[in-house]
Amino acid sequence: MQFTLVVYGAPHSSEGAATALRFARATLAAGHSIYRVFFYADGVHNGSALAAPPQDEQDLLGHWQSLQQDHALDLTVCIAAAQRRGLLSESEANRLEKPSANLAAGFSLAGLGQLAEAAAVSDRLISFGG
Amino acid sequence: MANSILALCRHAPYGNTLAREGLEAILACAAMDQIPAVLFTGDGVYQLLEQAPEAINEKSLRRNLQAMPMFGIEHIHVCEKSAETRGIATDALQLAGAEIVLLADTGAFIRDFDQVLSF
Repeated sequence: MQFTLVVYGAPHSSEGAATALRFARATLAAGHSIYRVFFYADGVHNGSALAAPPQDEQDLLGHWQSLQQDHALDLTVCIAAAQRRGLLSESEANRLEKPSANLAAGFSLAGLGQLAEAAAVSDRLISFGG
Repeated sequence: MANSILALCRHAPYGNTLAREGLEAILACAAMDQIPAVLFTGDGVYQLLEQAPEAINEKSLRRNLQAMPMFGIEHIHVCEKSAETRGIATDALQLAGAEIVLLADTGAFIRDFDQVLSF
């Protein structure tokens, strides 16, 4: 079965962010596929390369990135929600004349159309946080 | 065949950004011809009341709401019980160009959709 996950929870703030990660792992382990993980609203902070949690806490970003590498996951961050909250790719930072970029490797910025399309084609759509 | 989609609006306006971002996502889906059905439930029913958010320097959600009929969303479903328990007279819930449909049994309504986008 093909799943899409929508993440509204910010990491280290809402448990929804960590639950989404565990759900993604469990989904893949059960032999299902993940069409897309769409980060929206406060969930866009999951894609920040600058998060530096204490060493004895879970490193959500690192876990998402290794899951992405192992399974070629589509980790899409909503570009409009990201701009509002200061999450920018190199090209967006240049375009908006901001001093730095912070979109983590493995994540990509895209529009809300990616959420609409994923909702239309996935067998299941699950929301986390919010 | 593409999935049928229901969007739930659960948050009061301005208290949580998911109210605005939910409406933006609904309009984006509709613009992609994935026109969702829309149900206002819980504190989301407050979104359909007249608002004066200038007082707190917020941009009004009205423009997003009013765009819905233009994008083909002509029925706005409202959980009747949510309005009632909040002391909101259902005739105070208005959206120009759209018909407000009060639902007594939201569970049965939600069950009919393939996907639920929850905002």
